[in-house]
Amino acid sequence: MGSIWAVATNTIRQAVRMKVALVFMVLLFVLLPALGFSATGDETLKGRLQTFVSYGLSLMSFLLCLLTIIISIYSITSDIEHRQIYTVITKPIRRFQFLLGKLLGVIVLDTILVSIFAAVIYVVTIYMPRFVNASEQELTEANNQFLTARAALTVPEVDVTKEVRERYEQLKKLDQLPPDYTQDQIIAELTKQAQLAHRAAGVGDVLVWEFDNIKPLAEGMFIRFKYDVSPNPPDSQVYGRWLAGDSQYIKYGEPVKTPIYDQVHKHVARTFHEIEFPAAVVPESGRLAIAFMNVPLNATTVIFPPDGLEVLYKADSFTANFVRAVLLILFRLIFLACLGVLASSFLSFPVAILFCLVLFLTASFSGFVVESFDYLSANIGAVYSYTLKWVIRLLPEFDKFNPTEFMVPARLLSWSVLARCAAVIVCLKAFLILILGLVIFSYREIAKITV
Amino acid sequence: MEYAVETFSLTKIFSDWWGRAKVYAVDNLDLQVRQNEVFGLLGPNGSGKTTTLKMLLGLLHPTKGKALLLGGDGADPKINSRIGFLPEESYLYRYLTARETLDFYGRLFGLPAKVRQMRIEALLDMVGLKAVANRAVGTFSKGMARRIGLAQALINDPDLLILDEPTTGLDPIGTRQIKDLMLRLAERGKTILLCSHLLADVEDVCDRIAILYGGRIQTQGRVRELLQQTNKRQITTDAISDSTVEKIKQLVAAEDAECVVSSPMDKLESFFIRIVMAAQQQAQPTSGAVSTTKIGDFLTRKEPMESILDKLVSAPVSPQASQEAPATEKVAAARAPDESLLTKLTRSAEPSPPEPVARDEAAAAQAVEAQASDQEHVRESILDRLTGRSPDRSHNKEKTDTSQAGESGDG
Repeated sequence: MGSIWAVATNTIRQAVRMKVALVFMVLLFVLLPALGFSATGDETLKGRLQTFVSYGLSLMSFLLCLLTIIISIYSITSDIEHRQIYTVITKPIRRFQFLLGKLLGVIVLDTILVSIFAAVIYVVTIYMPRFVNASEQELTEANNQFLTARAALTVPEVDVTKEVRERYEQLKKLDQLPPDYTQDQIIAELTKQAQLAHRAAGVGDVLVWEFDNIKPLAEGMFIRFKYDVSPNPPDSQVYGRWLAGDSQYIKYGEPVKTPIYDQVHKHVARTFHEIEFPAAVVPESGRLAIAFMNVPLNATTVIFPPDGLEVLYKADSFTANFVRAVLLILFRLIFLACLGVLASSFLSFPVAILFCLVLFLTASFSGFVVESFDYLSANIGAVYSYTLKWVIRLLPEFDKFNPTEFMVPARLLSWSVLARCAAVIVCLKAFLILILGLVIFSYREIAKITV
Repeated sequence: MEYAVETFSLTKIFSDWWGRAKVYAVDNLDLQVRQNEVFGLLGPNGSGKTTTLKMLLGLLHPTKGKALLLGGDGADPKINSRIGFLPEESYLYRYLTARETLDFYGRLFGLPAKVRQMRIEALLDMVGLKAVANRAVGTFSKGMARRIGLAQALINDPDLLILDEPTTGLDPIGTRQIKDLMLRLAERGKTILLCSHLLADVEDVCDRIAILYGGRIQTQGRVRELLQQTNKRQITTDAISDSTVEKIKQLVAAEDAECVVSSPMDKLESFFIRIVMAAQQQAQPTSGAVSTTKIGDFLTRKEPMESILDKLVSAPVSPQASQEAPATEKVAAARAPDESLLTKLTRSAEPSPPEPVARDEAAAAQAVEAQASDQEHVRESILDRLTGRSPDRSHNKEKTDTSQAGESGDG
């Protein structure tokens, strides 16, 4: 352990004295506060905070990812290239210990840097309301919709299999099936239509969603939603009558004890909006119903996209959520450090950097990559699903665990999500990659061939 | 365990990309280095010396065969902890200072902080880099880097020292000091495997040598046996008169032998060292290394220190020979019975050194090496011999010294 730590501290010294880390630190120290002043968002305090935290975290994450890749690769490959490793590896230290030392050094350095910059972002965020002359209303909005951590209740896609099956049989009986399509394609199309029907409200129609087991912690609760419209109204404005309360009343009109929220709002289509309603409307049973009525004023069909409606309630503090979001970034860095170790166990500096950058970018858009490969490989299914698919799956899904996705809508990033991320990215993927790197490094020839 | 290093038909073939054998870098090498000897591996560039060392240490995998270091595998940490290695260039971390460098290597050996601290100071003192201990190694000259490299190889008090071209990049004084150091380490029971193509180095310090060419051993054996010209004799005298020379010539002619008479030349090495030492003692500023050549006390020895020292200073011929002209030391040792004759022959070979001046210089030298704390070791150093800090011995030393140099210069 002593020798691992010796290598680790040496790696940190190298990063600090070779001024690699310094450049990134200066960049971040200049850029972060600059962002704090320039990020205005939609001119409200909440918008400012959202923009700053989202850009700040993304910037920090991106720069530290690059730094991690560069340092982890440089410190190993330069030891091999400049042959300092000759004198190190001939000391009583095993090769895997040498690599672990390098990795540990990078991780310690990352932890320090992440802590510093996260602290900067946090402090700027917390003090921003004092610097900006925000109105009382803006302040409340920011407190309720940004400086908090809210759990979200989402609406699952309605199961329409039975419905679709019946419709298909009916069309078949009538002999109205489109001739050029396979059965699968027709069913997929019918499913899409049926699901859309459940999310669409014609003029005067009402949509109802129900949520169970709600135990709100705060006074206010929020409906977060996005309208899609067809056809588009002239000013893109949609009027909606929103109701929230006991489902007994909303669905069947029976009298209930708890109050009912009932108001008409006007919102712009195609962006997310939030409506606050008092938590008092939640009945004792915990079963809450939300209803939307497409008021006749609209003269357009309103459709909610698949992820277009959520109910949010405060579940934790902003600070705790922020800490977890930062840990998410740290996990990312740990993975990249392991990847760097693997790459430099058998590649030279420029090739290893290229290799890691490609994988890093792929991982950042992994959802897109996996989807497109799934689509493209429809014809070579067997080959793909036994080879490339697993390689791609080995990449971490950075976009799935993106901290800004949680921070901007002040969404709760629970410990369980964090634990899942740690388990998948660090304990499984990073670990496998590291083991592979250690094995390769243990058996390769360290010395260059010179005759 | 009879051998410190042993290889069994060690072979390294470098193949091209397709796996076809291209170069036999080392070819069926059977090498045996005994415990407690200084073994020299010689050979021209590209003869497989360094490749052999790399295979011994596990930096390269042998294509065939096996190598044992201290009876074990060279990649085993247990064995590594007893080995000191100096690669062909001092590959150091440029951003670390000299002290940090040694500390780093000390920590790799898991040495406790106190031991590390003590050894680092002793080693810095020994290689003469104490004054620049807090400077980044990247700013060092090649010779200074070499010294740190050597210190690094000694920090664990190794039983086996593997040195690849230890004197490259060093000035003659540094070379001399490192050679002295090797001899003293050998006296302390260390085994040294030395790899070099600088023949003078090898000749001066090695007990046995092997000459490598094309990855094969061409010849090996004891240096003395390989080099001694048994069909020649050499006599060195004081500045005797021409008539005596004529008499000697006649005596030699009576035996039907050839005889050449000339004045012995000083060895350029000794001359150079004398000049530079004199400048150093006048405390002329230099940014380079200032060596005290004090050997680190932690470097263990098999016998108590006193006995070696006593032996060194009491024997009339061998001590200075071991430090100044070691190659001939062995010759001298072999002629032990003729010792008194030799001493007689070598008396006042040159005008004796100007002692009063030397004393002044010694005082200056003390100022230079401010950190020379334990002075009992200093008497071993070249500096002393040249400056005559202990005049009772130095008088005798000086004379035999120059005569030895003359002898080897002539031979």
